[in-house]
Amino acid sequence: MAVLARDAVPAPVSRRSLLDNEKWLGRLMLAPAILYIILLVGFPFFLALYYSVSDITLGRQSLGFVGLKHYAAVIGTPKFRTSVQNTFVFALLSQLIVMILGNVLALLLLKDFRGKWFVRLLLLLPWVAPISLGSIGWLWILDSTYSVINWTLQALSLVPPEGGFMWLGIPHLAMGSIIAIHVWRILPLATVIILAGLTAIPQEIHDAAAVDGAGPWRHHFQITLPLLQPVMMVAGLFGLVFAFTDMIVIYVLTRGGPYDTTQVLATLAFFTGVAAGDLGEGAAISLFLFPFLLAVAVLMLRVARRAEVT
Amino acid sequence: MAGERLSRRKFIKATGGGALAAGLGANIIIPGRARAAKKLKILQWVHFVPAYDEWFNKKYIKEWGEKNDTEVTVDNIGIAGIAARAAGEVSAQKGHDLFLFNWPPPTYEEQTVDMKDVIQECERKAGKPIDLAIKSTYNPKTKKYFAFSPSFTPDPVNYRQDLFGQVGMPNGPRTWDDVRTGGAKVKKQAGNPVGIGLAQEIDTGMAMRTIMYSFGSHEQDAEGNFALDSKNTLDALKFVKALFEETMTPEVFTWDASSNNRAMIAGKISLALNAISITRTAEKDAPDMSKRIQLTKALRGPVRAIGLEHVMDCYVVWKFAENIEGAKKFLVDYVENFRLGFLAGEFYDFPCYPKTVPDLTKLIANDPKAHPPDKYKVLDDVLNWATNVGYPGYSNAAIDEIFNTWVLNVMFAKAASGSATPEEALKEAVAASKRVFAKWKEKGLV
Repeated sequence: MAVLARDAVPAPVSRRSLLDNEKWLGRLMLAPAILYIILLVGFPFFLALYYSVSDITLGRQSLGFVGLKHYAAVIGTPKFRTSVQNTFVFALLSQLIVMILGNVLALLLLKDFRGKWFVRLLLLLPWVAPISLGSIGWLWILDSTYSVINWTLQALSLVPPEGGFMWLGIPHLAMGSIIAIHVWRILPLATVIILAGLTAIPQEIHDAAAVDGAGPWRHHFQITLPLLQPVMMVAGLFGLVFAFTDMIVIYVLTRGGPYDTTQVLATLAFFTGVAAGDLGEGAAISLFLFPFLLAVAVLMLRVARRAEVT
Repeated sequence: MAGERLSRRKFIKATGGGALAAGLGANIIIPGRARAAKKLKILQWVHFVPAYDEWFNKKYIKEWGEKNDTEVTVDNIGIAGIAARAAGEVSAQKGHDLFLFNWPPPTYEEQTVDMKDVIQECERKAGKPIDLAIKSTYNPKTKKYFAFSPSFTPDPVNYRQDLFGQVGMPNGPRTWDDVRTGGAKVKKQAGNPVGIGLAQEIDTGMAMRTIMYSFGSHEQDAEGNFALDSKNTLDALKFVKALFEETMTPEVFTWDASSNNRAMIAGKISLALNAISITRTAEKDAPDMSKRIQLTKALRGPVRAIGLEHVMDCYVVWKFAENIEGAKKFLVDYVENFRLGFLAGEFYDFPCYPKTVPDLTKLIANDPKAHPPDKYKVLDDVLNWATNVGYPGYSNAAIDEIFNTWVLNVMFAKAASGSATPEEALKEAVAASKRVFAKWKEKGLV
């Protein structure tokens, strides 16, 4: 009884009122996330912004203001223009493929079948494995001497005994390879997001469509896809931002080669800023697409919200 | 209460002792280290030859530390992590006392201690250094030695003796024209292409410069003036295009720094430019192939016979290092003892102070691991023909950026692949390089 009585003692009024106050409790619970964003996203971002208008190098810590000089200097170079073009090709193509395959896989995983958990596990593996390790694995798969794909093609007599493809040595094959590997990496995330969206669609809507005699194609394109639009926008936004800013796959596989045909802004920024020491110019290159990405993000989120409301 | 007091006392004793031990470091706890009054922290790459790290980390620094009352620690990291690690240390203004780059690091000049006194002391004790060591560590514009180089790795030609023997060159090619004609015959007869990289990686950068310099083409002249835009560069470009078309396959566009090793040891290619890593790996992993792979000296081009360094060992001492004097003394002593390092590294690192390995010629002429034992004898005059990136000038910040952003690699690859004419490829590279030179001149480092 004594114990029960002790347990029943209410918490001090001040503490209880603080915990019951939604305004303060909300702030308290959001604080770690906000702190994280400020320290690990906001601070480096604004630092990079300032680097891009300063004369900082790896060996010089002074931050003399040079205005937009770095932006003006790089924008006219063929290497930069090639990198911008490659960045768009890489990001848009990979994202298009991800969205199509993500839809297919999500629809597949919505169904019940034996071994579904195993398929889900396999699907998620590329996402949970460190991308640097995954890329090194792909580097070996596509290696010019030991490519397992070429060996298989040779074993199946699809190419001559010493033949095969120079996956990373021919421009369109190299771009195709890095897009394929990026898709392999991003696809699980897109699939999981789209799958979540699919499960959120009320069953009544599907039932009503079936009763009205909608066929599978009409059902998918005129009912499911429009309802999925907000979720797909979010998946697309994540994928686009990843594709526009990522450099690991390209750095490990081609380092921008052959002859800059897979050079993207992220790798160019790394080579200029870290490998060659011009941090200011490297920062300018890396931030070049920021206004564009910001606009895309705002647009996509607005479209998603509008679709959600209607 | 007594029990409580006792636990608190115990607790204070334990935590206080722990904190004291942590604060004072391992010297207090580990017997034998207690005497070391100073500390020296070194960062360097994981050496290509594991036996070198075994000797350096477990024997040499221990003995040096005992003699100099210093606790020496070494952190070994992969070569790919060195650039980012250096950037991190400079940014934090904290790190190691001695930091080894495997290439000249002129962009860090303002963060490093002038090594003039180390070079003078080494010269007093071990004689004059080779020109390559100075050209890789000195900035004539600021009159500062931004690094110190005790050793370098040669970049000889590795060729398949059996294959070149079939086309009348049993001793390998002697000139770049030999590579073109002999390589084409080998490719036609045996199907093995020449394997000189045309990719965005370090070995390609070295190989293309070797060809350029032997054709009398340079990024800069001896005074550091921009000199890429020349007929000699155009000739070198046309040569590489012909060399690619007649002797190679698109495989060379895909390569990373270790691809030529793999392709040579797999028996796929007939010739490559590389350190002795190919032959050393073959001796361990493919003894039969090892007998077929031999080395030649620098190949002669229309102007000269010249080769690059493959790895330039450049130690820097950061201005923010805690034991600057200890780091300098370590380097002077290391140079004096370099013969031990030369042996431990299985001839991978050659001395920048030739007198420190007086019997170098004799040692490399009889290596029991090599097939034949005098395989490495061709390197006996490497100190005369190995040169630096940026020859005939110094390895400065502009040369470094041109190297690390692969400007020349791309120029040669575009011309070779036909995606640009040699003239167009040169024009683009000249514009890019001129911009880089102007930039670093403005920053006062060139």
